[in-house]
Amino acid sequence: MKISENILSQQLVKICGSKNVTNNPEILKEYSTDMSFFMGKVPKFVTWPSKTQEILKILKLANQMNFSIIPVSSSSKLRQHGDTVPRKDNCVIIDLSKMNKIISINKENRVVMIEPGVTFKDLIPKLKQKGLRLLLPLHPTGTKSVLTSALEREPIVIPRYHWDSSDPLLCTEVIFGTGDLFRTGTAAGPGTISQQQKIGQAQLNPMGPTQFSPFRVIQGAQGSFGVVTWATLKLELIPTMQKVYHYHSNNIEELLDFQQQLVKYRLCDDTFILNNLNLASLVRKIDGEIENLAKSLLKWNMIFIISGRGDLAKDKLDYLEGDIKDLLRESNYVHLEKSDLINSDIFLKCVNESTSEPWRTRYKGYYQDIFFLSNFENISNYILMVQSKYSEDLGIYIQPINQGTSFHCEFDFFYDPNDNIKVDKIKRKISEIIINLMDSGAFFNRPYGYWAKEMYTRHIEQTSIALKKVKRIFDPNNVLNPGVLCFDD
Amino acid sequence: MLKKQILEEFQKTVGPENIDDGEVMTNAYAYNWCMELVNCMEEKEPIPFSPIPKAIILPSNVEEVQQIVKLCNKYDIQFKAQSTGLGPWNQPSSENCIILDLRRMNKIVKIDDKNLYAVVEPYVSGAQLQAETMKYDLTVHMPGAGPQVSPLASATSMNGPGFTSPHTGHSARNVLGVEWVLPDGEILRLGSTGLKNNPDWFSGDGPGPSLRGIMRGWAGAKSGIGVFTKVAFKLFPYPCSTKFKLKGISPNYEFDIPDFMKLYVMDCKNYNYLKKVFLAVEREEISFICSHLSGYGLGAIFSNSIESLMDKIPIASTHAPLVIVIAARTRREFEYKQKVMNKIMAEFKLENIIGTKYTPNSLFYAEALRSNLGLHGFIATGGFQSSKGQCDTATVCLNTTKMSIPLKKKYIKKGVIANDFGEGVWMTSYESGHYFHVESPTLFDQTNEKSVNGMAENMNENYQFDLIKHLGAPFFVEGDRMHDKFGPHMMNYHKWLRKIKEAFDPNGIADSGFYISAK
Repeated sequence: MKISENILSQQLVKICGSKNVTNNPEILKEYSTDMSFFMGKVPKFVTWPSKTQEILKILKLANQMNFSIIPVSSSSKLRQHGDTVPRKDNCVIIDLSKMNKIISINKENRVVMIEPGVTFKDLIPKLKQKGLRLLLPLHPTGTKSVLTSALEREPIVIPRYHWDSSDPLLCTEVIFGTGDLFRTGTAAGPGTISQQQKIGQAQLNPMGPTQFSPFRVIQGAQGSFGVVTWATLKLELIPTMQKVYHYHSNNIEELLDFQQQLVKYRLCDDTFILNNLNLASLVRKIDGEIENLAKSLLKWNMIFIISGRGDLAKDKLDYLEGDIKDLLRESNYVHLEKSDLINSDIFLKCVNESTSEPWRTRYKGYYQDIFFLSNFENISNYILMVQSKYSEDLGIYIQPINQGTSFHCEFDFFYDPNDNIKVDKIKRKISEIIINLMDSGAFFNRPYGYWAKEMYTRHIEQTSIALKKVKRIFDPNNVLNPGVLCFDD
Repeated sequence: MLKKQILEEFQKTVGPENIDDGEVMTNAYAYNWCMELVNCMEEKEPIPFSPIPKAIILPSNVEEVQQIVKLCNKYDIQFKAQSTGLGPWNQPSSENCIILDLRRMNKIVKIDDKNLYAVVEPYVSGAQLQAETMKYDLTVHMPGAGPQVSPLASATSMNGPGFTSPHTGHSARNVLGVEWVLPDGEILRLGSTGLKNNPDWFSGDGPGPSLRGIMRGWAGAKSGIGVFTKVAFKLFPYPCSTKFKLKGISPNYEFDIPDFMKLYVMDCKNYNYLKKVFLAVEREEISFICSHLSGYGLGAIFSNSIESLMDKIPIASTHAPLVIVIAARTRREFEYKQKVMNKIMAEFKLENIIGTKYTPNSLFYAEALRSNLGLHGFIATGGFQSSKGQCDTATVCLNTTKMSIPLKKKYIKKGVIANDFGEGVWMTSYESGHYFHVESPTLFDQTNEKSVNGMAENMNENYQFDLIKHLGAPFFVEGDRMHDKFGPHMMNYHKWLRKIKEAFDPNGIADSGFYISAK
């Protein structure tokens, strides 16, 4: 059935109000692309709902009138990876940036409840005032939605607080593709949220209700199963003392091994490995400075931070430092060098705060990234593989996650967006590299855009079959973000 | 018994020596602990037997499991899989059911000390695995059911709290790669395990959404969504020296307590104070074990017979005790953790009962490291079962405890359950106090019909109580009766769960007695 745009417009206006619905071509165009190479279509309308009930009505309408919906959580023009770019002609964007309430901050239970439009720059200072901190990805962009970051399973920089791959996401309120409202984890009940809170609950347990955990299928679904209207996220207390260590080496194996020991024995909080260019891009803002610093650094850089709280913070740091020294002595690493080229405060900013612009754009103005999960043993091979195909202006980031059981491997391709020859070359090379990596067993567990189909063909067929069964349950009419992952357009 | 032709097909799959449909074996497999209670709660005769299975089959690998499940679909026979088989959840709910006893699948497939996980088959026990992981300075999360049960079952299909949960989390949250035979006989491999090129076990999520959410929730599906033949789960740093020296004869072993291990028991006197101390300790991220038990429960974890339990009256008179075990790999770490404990005790004006009023046998420390404390629940009456089982904040766990005391006392007064003054609970923290769960182990006499009936009534009344007071969903919301009771008060989740069952088990072949039927 072809949608009558007039009728659709009237219905959307009825739901959200005329100020919150547009088909202005310039605005529509903004939602038809993102920073990735993914080529999409122009949506029919953009809406800005501000209440759960409005989203619910839009979803019901989509099922009746056969149009597609793409949820977008922030108005930032810095969206990446193509997952919010329309693939069908009859798409309506629901931009959730007006749903930006921090619903509650609960220090006793170290949890925050937020709407999808809440950004890192909004939330981090509010939590800091209460002595709390989010489990952050590496120096996130301030305008990015905190909830989306958690829904996308972005890696966080403290592996020992990453108890489950789903952290920091806890409970959610979601409207499934069917238009049904649901709450996951302990938020499901018994009782309403206020009844639960009255008896002392704080929506901490993400598992359930009972014998399934729907939050796990909502997470990583790129908005194709449901629209999340709020979620609770795990927090930690802010340390009173943090000490930064920066080791660099031209031998990544030793750094990886040292880091693995630190993670295994829970001796550090934040830890990550960057190549010299990525580290320089993280801590410097101008391309000249970035180049100079990158030249001064050895190829591989491992940062780790130890921390303590309260009266015994120093005691804790002393014990950790002593144990780490013992570990280093026993391990007999020969290539590691301690570095003091970068001020500790700059590192602390990168792990504790957001940044006004994506740090990956600092060097050349633009970037494309590819990322996947690896085990410990294959990291070096994957690095060699990528570098043999493309090594110019390449940033590399290795992040142990999930208690050190796997590693986020990220390759950042920096370039000037006005250099068309370079753009074409990177586009070609990235496709080639992705295929090579996938064929070698790199696990693209968050597959976006064009990679997704490639990934699913390299995964057992039963995975797509099972996911499609789940999709038919929660979004039987395929109204939500059709075409992403293994789902048909 | 099976029809001859069907029996022969199963025999072809596993070999005739690995299937038995005779009366002796099938009757023996109809027995399980607490089955009489389940029968009673479902208004059946309170006997300790489930429906008698048609046959017992012992597959040895995933291909055999797959073949069996396909035959079940072909002949419309249900299956129930069991690993180490403790409890009624392993039992069939109808006589049209075979039991897949997975005891021949007993291999530790891999201990990956670089990527900090282990891969096991169903019949590997926690103790067996821990003995191997200790060689790498690593330990495994074991559920409260004890070290003798299958960690695969806990990770994939059951509940997952354990005494070491502050340090080792919850079984469901530790899962990585999974090998899973679906009820239609297809094999699903989750996450990195499903890669066609170089599959490995380090991740169980994706690509894209994580099907771990279909596999299980806070509780597992108890074989109602298929058979799990291998699972990878996280390993954690062994908390202290791995030297493990025992001497003596069961149950009176003596253990060389590791140098850097210390037990604290503090009587917090009331629940409000207990909560403050509990949270204060857990915020410091120092505990290996951090549990609240009632005074009676406290006595029980230090006892291995009724006689020795009776000696524990001085410590059993505590009102709101908190049990903390700290352990360390180095002297520095140990001294730091003790300093933190001393600070907390000074701040809250508490003293450590251990070493002042009571000194436990050294065996306690071995059992703490081995996650063997839950078994002490059997000492007083030979049988127990837990009501409650909700999980969220410390506040809701302690409110549940307080509010449920009069209810429990009612049944104590009737003489059908043991007298723990109504306070008998076990409450533990997870992940350094990020969330808590509470359950109410209730002691009853499984051989006495009046006691069994009373216990069943007590369980049912507790469910109703938890529901109307919004205390969270307890452990055993499983089976159609319970889902239909709780679902309408919990976002109608039961309707979604039924759709999942229907989609993944279109023929209704995986026994749903402890899961949900498509209806």
